[in-house]
Amino acid sequence: MDMLLTEDQLALAETVRNYLAGTHGPEVLRRLDADGNRDPAIWQGLVDMGLTGLLVPEAQGGLGMGLVDAALIAAECGRACLAEPLVDTAFVGVPGLLAQGKTDQLADVAAGRVTLPLSHAINPWVADGAGVAIKSVDPMRNLAASANDNADPHLLNLGALMSAAQLVGLADAMLHLAVEYAKIRTQFGQPIGAFQAIKHQLATCAVAIEFAKPVVWQAAQALQDGRDSAAVHVSHAKVAATDAAILTAETAIQVHGAMGYTYEVDLHFWMKRSWALAGAWGSRAFHLKRVDDAVLGGALPIGPEHTFA
Amino acid sequence: MHLEYTPEQDAFRAEVRAWMEAHVPKEPLVTLECREGYDQHVEWERTLASGNWGMVTWPEAYGGRGLDLIQWLIFEEEYFRAGGPNRANQNGIFLLGPTIMEFGTDEQKKRFLTPMAKGEVIWAQAWSEPGAGSDMAAISSKAVRDGDHYVITGQKTWSSRAAFADWGFGMFRTDPESKRHKGLTFILFDINSPGITRRPIRQLHGDTGFAELFFDEVRVPVENCLAGEGEGWNVAMATAGFERGLMLRSPGRFQATAKRLVDLYRTHEAEASPAAREAVLQAWMSAQAYAYNTYAVAAKIMAGGKIGAEASLNKIFWSELDRSMHRTAMQLLGAHAELKRFDDGSVNQWLEGYIFSLSGPIYAGSNEVQRNITAERMLGLPRVGAG
Ligand SMILES: Cc1cc2nc3c(=O)[nH]c(=O)nc-3n(C[C@H](O)[C@H](O)[C@H](O)COP(=O)(O)OP(=O)(O)OC[C@H]3O[C@@H](n4cnc5c(N)ncnc54)[C@H](O)[C@@H]3O)c2cc1C
Repeated sequence: MDMLLTEDQLALAETVRNYLAGTHGPEVLRRLDADGNRDPAIWQGLVDMGLTGLLVPEAQGGLGMGLVDAALIAAECGRACLAEPLVDTAFVGVPGLLAQGKTDQLADVAAGRVTLPLSHAINPWVADGAGVAIKSVDPMRNLAASANDNADPHLLNLGALMSAAQLVGLADAMLHLAVEYAKIRTQFGQPIGAFQAIKHQLATCAVAIEFAKPVVWQAAQALQDGRDSAAVHVSHAKVAATDAAILTAETAIQVHGAMGYTYEVDLHFWMKRSWALAGAWGSRAFHLKRVDDAVLGGALPIGPEHTFA
Repeated sequence: MHLEYTPEQDAFRAEVRAWMEAHVPKEPLVTLECREGYDQHVEWERTLASGNWGMVTWPEAYGGRGLDLIQWLIFEEEYFRAGGPNRANQNGIFLLGPTIMEFGTDEQKKRFLTPMAKGEVIWAQAWSEPGAGSDMAAISSKAVRDGDHYVITGQKTWSSRAAFADWGFGMFRTDPESKRHKGLTFILFDINSPGITRRPIRQLHGDTGFAELFFDEVRVPVENCLAGEGEGWNVAMATAGFERGLMLRSPGRFQATAKRLVDLYRTHEAEASPAAREAVLQAWMSAQAYAYNTYAVAAKIMAGGKIGAEASLNKIFWSELDRSMHRTAMQLLGAHAELKRFDDGSVNQWLEGYIFSLSGPIYAGSNEVQRNITAERMLGLPRVGAG
């Protein structure tokens, strides 16, 4: 029994974080928003880092890593508000194909030549897919209408897990934006961050985020291990991450005052992605229902001796 | 990350389970907050010690089993699964013990740790004063050096178990010229020393859970000082870290409450609102989140890391979780909520638990203070005033 994230896992996530911080800052989001919202150079950078092949087996030219590694990197993608379809393709689509034993496309995915637009009955759209365009509140999301008759439960779990992972990263980023703003904005002769009403709201966000993270990592491991109970852990992760992100989004806009209500201040990119991912791959209500079915339905053993049931 | 227990861990769990099933009292003990209940709980500490379960993580030389933190978590899970009583010596074993382990001399370790693990000496924490609650640096009780002794004069308050406990650990001002954090010293004292008067305080539920301690020229040998004179603040901060951080409230406690809440919900399902149902699910989710986080922190410590400001997040999380679980139970109980005993004669533990849960956000450093610490030390927001 070991809930430790290894130094290698944390180091890889940090490398991705630093890379994205350097190449995918707010100015890039603004540029993308103004001009076409996808950039082959950004995609190529992710491919060059090996991220498209993270979960592709070594035999197909990938790194052969696991869902915990992917979830940690998905959180970094959330933190950077990454628009390219890396998470869908490489962390949801690839393990989805692997579970079905379909390996023929994987080498092309790893090499960045192919993306995997994911159609699922739970979503009324396909992200980054072909079809009639549908507009999202998130200016970085490219949605298209689709038939969506795929009801693969494993794909749903993967999509929900990786949405949850992105949401904790988004929440971290919004908390950071609000904290930095609270340090520089002064009113009544002091930084607003010195007011306890501001401090305490931000501390409450930190609590929600820090206690959502281990739920997400443990769900990733449970899904990786193919546990019978993985679905309920994924749903728990989706609910916890959604709650943390929405709380932090609402707090962050409040801390920014009217500035937060403008299109000019970058916060809105993260906030809108949070709204989008909160509903994607199963709403909060859908996932709470799955927890309900397992916990109150009695299928999942509960109590102190069943921490990792 | 591995979510499977090893065969050794499973065997250890089975060993704890068997022992607990054989020894945990079938009837709940009388509340710890009165003479009769205190005596029962001390008896239980000794029963635990007879099985060598007093403090499993301590070295064998000090009455422990030398186990690691994962084994400790397994022990705690089984303890709460079995409905084990509150620990009369919790402030000793979970707060003072680790502090002595870190700051004590070999002599002090030998003298204090084993009797603590064996439940022979029950400890009370004596930090708070009438003028020094959240603002602990305002402590004014004095300890004046006189040869080989300190002479203590002053008053402590809200000291849990001090109505009946044997020994206390306190913070006293040894440098009369000093201000705030400087000049404080961490001193261990026998509560039965001449010059100490205990005055029990009735708590919200009506029993005497804590006490005031009055010190009138109480002579305490200098060797009872932990770490050096004037080092009190640093020592106390370490103790507070243990209090808020890993040990004081292990996850099993809240997982057990969440499970009882699920059972309670089932018996009230017909009349319960969807909101109550959601609150019950939230209880399970939060208790599980707390458990995963604790396992992660334990793993981090075992890999050589330390807990810092996260201890404050922890304290906020468990105390607010405990309160909301009990609030939900009170709502489900409806007209039965106010009854001290149910029709079948059993004690309304939800009511007792709800009352106690209201103190969680206050003791061990109030949640407002924890939010200040989180905002300033973890998020880096500016400090203003003494907050
Ligand atoms: C059940 C129980 C058991 C206890 N056991 C012990 C024990 O064994 N030993 C011991 O020494 N003490 C014990 N205490 C005392 C406990 O440590 C104090 O109650 C606590 O530190 C708060 O101090 P206070 O009660 O004086 O409240 P105050 O400090 O007066 O606080 C009152 C309110 O003001 C808020 N406040 C204070 N300062 C700030 C600030 N800077 N920013 C924002 N808000 C602030 C507080 O959060 C609180 O809401 C116990 C308390 C309880 C309730």
